[in-house]
Amino acid sequence: MEQKAVSILKTALRNPPLLTLLLVALVWLAASLTLRGFGAYGHLRYLLELSAVIGIVAAGQTLVILMGGIDLSVGAIITVTAILLPLLSPSADPTGLSGLAIALAIATGIGFLNGAGAAYLRVPPIIMTLAMATFLQGLLVIVAGGSAVSVTNAAVLWLGQARPLGVPSGVMLWIAVSAVVLVIIHRTPLGARLLALGANPLASRLSGINVTRSMLVLYAMSGFFAGLAGILILGMNRQGYVGIGEPYLLTSIAAVVLGGTSILGGRGTYAGTIPGAILLVTTTALITVVNASPGWRSIMFGSLILALLLISGREGRR
Amino acid sequence: MNIAFLSRQNLFFSVQRRRNRGLNGLYIVVGLFLLAYAMLFPGLLGISGFSKFTQNWFPLALVTMAQALLMLNGGISLAIGPLVSLGAVIAATTMGGPLGPIGGLLAVAASGLLVGALIGVIVAQLRLPAIIVTLAGSFIIGGIALIILPRPGGFIPDWLSNLLAGNGPVAFGLLVLLLVCWKLFLATPLGLGIYAVGDNPVGAFRSGVPVDRVRVTAFALSGLLTALVGLFVAAQTGSGDPVIGTPFTLNSIAGAVLGGVGFLGGKGTMRGAICGSLLLSVMINVMFFLGFSPVTQYVAQGLIILAAVAIPELTSQWSRKP
Repeated sequence: MEQKAVSILKTALRNPPLLTLLLVALVWLAASLTLRGFGAYGHLRYLLELSAVIGIVAAGQTLVILMGGIDLSVGAIITVTAILLPLLSPSADPTGLSGLAIALAIATGIGFLNGAGAAYLRVPPIIMTLAMATFLQGLLVIVAGGSAVSVTNAAVLWLGQARPLGVPSGVMLWIAVSAVVLVIIHRTPLGARLLALGANPLASRLSGINVTRSMLVLYAMSGFFAGLAGILILGMNRQGYVGIGEPYLLTSIAAVVLGGTSILGGRGTYAGTIPGAILLVTTTALITVVNASPGWRSIMFGSLILALLLISGREGRR
Repeated sequence: MNIAFLSRQNLFFSVQRRRNRGLNGLYIVVGLFLLAYAMLFPGLLGISGFSKFTQNWFPLALVTMAQALLMLNGGISLAIGPLVSLGAVIAATTMGGPLGPIGGLLAVAASGLLVGALIGVIVAQLRLPAIIVTLAGSFIIGGIALIILPRPGGFIPDWLSNLLAGNGPVAFGLLVLLLVCWKLFLATPLGLGIYAVGDNPVGAFRSGVPVDRVRVTAFALSGLLTALVGLFVAAQTGSGDPVIGTPFTLNSIAGAVLGGVGFLGGKGTMRGAICGSLLLSVMINVMFFLGFSPVTQYVAQGLIILAAVAIPELTSQWSRKP
């Protein structure tokens, strides 16, 4: 019995996604026992709703990071979708689905441009996506003029507010996204290609992988997922404004790394990012409960990320 | 060409040529922008105009150096901005106190070295990725800055503000001095180790380079530079502000990458990085003089960064293909 427990522990330590999941369970258990109201169904559901947004942004980020790239424009893409969607939804369409499609197409297009810049112009992804974010930031102020826009699109509001069968539709969307991304990474040729590219770009190019096409597809997907998250945030907030997506840039990267994915690419899985996102949201929630000044809250958040990193995000020893 | 037949002198110049390759485009772009700026604003050529311009450029040049120092040995820092803020608030709170301006300067320098070394130890000893350690560190450092000085204020002696941000080219002199120090540092074994560790950590380790010590030194020096930028910014504005450094994080990365410093380490030069920061700085000034609205400035900035990185890459691609 004892041996079995030890062996389970050992497997967990060698498996970052499982470890992160155990950590989430532990934190939730401890917090539910010590803090009144933390373990209530409504509160946990709320935490999951918030995690869904980070989880969906981090889906695209996971794919790009696994390939050895990074996407610093996800925050800007979220803002673009959240601001453009209310402006683009045609009033003739009561369901609002056409507006949704247009916004997602724009987000995917931006991601595609990122990929094109990285693949054809050979601009390092970090600088390509950073330049894209700067560019979009300026464009947005021109379009929206700095004021907040309210959303009336029925489909978006349903996504952000409805709870079919008691489960928020955002969480359902997240489950669907997770299933798709996990299948892509582990069960499709594209997944095999992106892991190979992350592990050794030169060797994979020499073995005949079409690097350009993989990059275009993956950055477009990252843009798509960021757009999806933008729509979800818009539905939850009912308002879009400049800067709405900014907090999600660094949290999406943190969620990926906390899930045990190597920031250098080639190693990891979205199965780790899922508990990573929940862990981040829980941490933030716990810090909000403690009554502290903004300075101390920031210090606690940073220290906790660092501590979690020590447990789950270590690069292998050389 | 066989490397064994090259004399030491030729080897040196061939390495330098290789490092300069791809930077020529950047030099031309920077030159054109400087020319445009001098035509728009002839005062640039006078002492006072030159001083003001270099003072605006100085903090960006220094944080870019701090970032390039890390990127050359394969690291990166997302905590540059908060560390600038920390330097600024420490300067603004200590200089009016019993320590005096000299004590304040030492306090800023010591805190920068300490924070940098601490991050370096965590990255090197615990083998955690620098990008995420400094991301976590940015929250901690930003929080400390907020606790030290919750809202803008504090005190900077007037003579210090006048000295650093007055009408004399002191900032430019300091920058030249720093570049000389960097050249001297590169001549030491530890300085050489920075390139070696970035290029090939395993090879460097096997050749007897103290890899961990080089990494910690790089982080500590980078922290020192960054905190001193905070002191300069505080002298420039005459007070401390706990969030004043925020834009420096991404700008320092942009400057270094524009200057041809690679993300994987071992690739790039400090002169390139300085040039990259100069391009960013001149660009903003020129657009300001042309009367661009802040919004169009963002759009143009994004496009110019892209062009400066993409054009050398494309031309080298075409010249390789007959």
